[in-house]
Amino acid sequence: MNYAEAELPVAADTAAAHEATLQAFAQPGAWWSGADRLAIVAETRSVAECSPSAEGATASGTAQDDAGVLPPAAIEAIHGIRNRSGQITRSWFENLIDMGLPREAYVEIASVVASSVIVDTFAQGFGLDKPPLPAATPGEPSFEASTDVVDAGAWVPIAREGSANILRSLGLVPSARQLFFDTFRPSYYMRPGAKFALDVPQVELVAARVSAVNECFY
Amino acid sequence: MALVTGDANADDDGNVAHGALLAELAEAVARWQWDAVTALRRDAIARLGPQPTSDAILVAAGFNGITRVADAIGIRLDTRTTEASVALRQATGIDAFAHAGKWAAG
Repeated sequence: MNYAEAELPVAADTAAAHEATLQAFAQPGAWWSGADRLAIVAETRSVAECSPSAEGATASGTAQDDAGVLPPAAIEAIHGIRNRSGQITRSWFENLIDMGLPREAYVEIASVVASSVIVDTFAQGFGLDKPPLPAATPGEPSFEASTDVVDAGAWVPIAREGSANILRSLGLVPSARQLFFDTFRPSYYMRPGAKFALDVPQVELVAARVSAVNECFY
Repeated sequence: MALVTGDANADDDGNVAHGALLAELAEAVARWQWDAVTALRRDAIARLGPQPTSDAILVAAGFNGITRVADAIGIRLDTRTTEASVALRQATGIDAFAHAGKWAAG
């Protein structure tokens, strides 16, 4: 990730993490191909450009040349997670599953959408364009699903082990869990010795304000 | 706490250094209001400095993603998180976002 044009300093590990995320989008995943994952990112980006009145309508696909074609349930999942995450309910999720979306595929969508939101929000927050996406790497998904999961009352089973539910949340698909937290890690106290040029109350204030804006109870 | 909910006065820092500015910047980033972000970023650079401003945007971007994971998966509050945030939750009314219908079967 090239933040050379940014007017603000960017830590090397942040730039490296975001670049790794962009490259990972193009790789075959657990339940989606590289082309599909790029289509998920492109759709996430296109939602941002939808007018509010268009939101909730069936999406039209993506403008990404290298993108795959996503089923309607995936499109709805992307739009919900990108633009209406605070209003997501179990019944909405179950409707997606009834439409034929495997729950593991949904978990991977959540990871890709949220990771792309981080990378794009960061770049645009600096006044930069959304970073370009690489070409898709050919290959089939691995169709991995962890069996080391438990029903903890969420929409999907979550990892059996973990100190907080958010860290367990994507455990049904370990590669999706890794993708997201590799992207998120520089943004919070998740690295040994992690520190910011803000003090802890300032970091927590920013985090809490964003959570409130997004109507996230967690 | 008013800074978290967006109910604070513009000059109320809530005992956090530059709290009002940081809350305003965080909200603008989370809402993808880039014109506002541009102005607030310049203000933050002037008042806090480049690195703190960069870190504020980094944290805001990260939480713009992780809140979506939490809501997309429908995770419940765990004991550790509950205990760490009880005062914040009571003061901000953030539990209202976890309405009963959220987990109700269709």
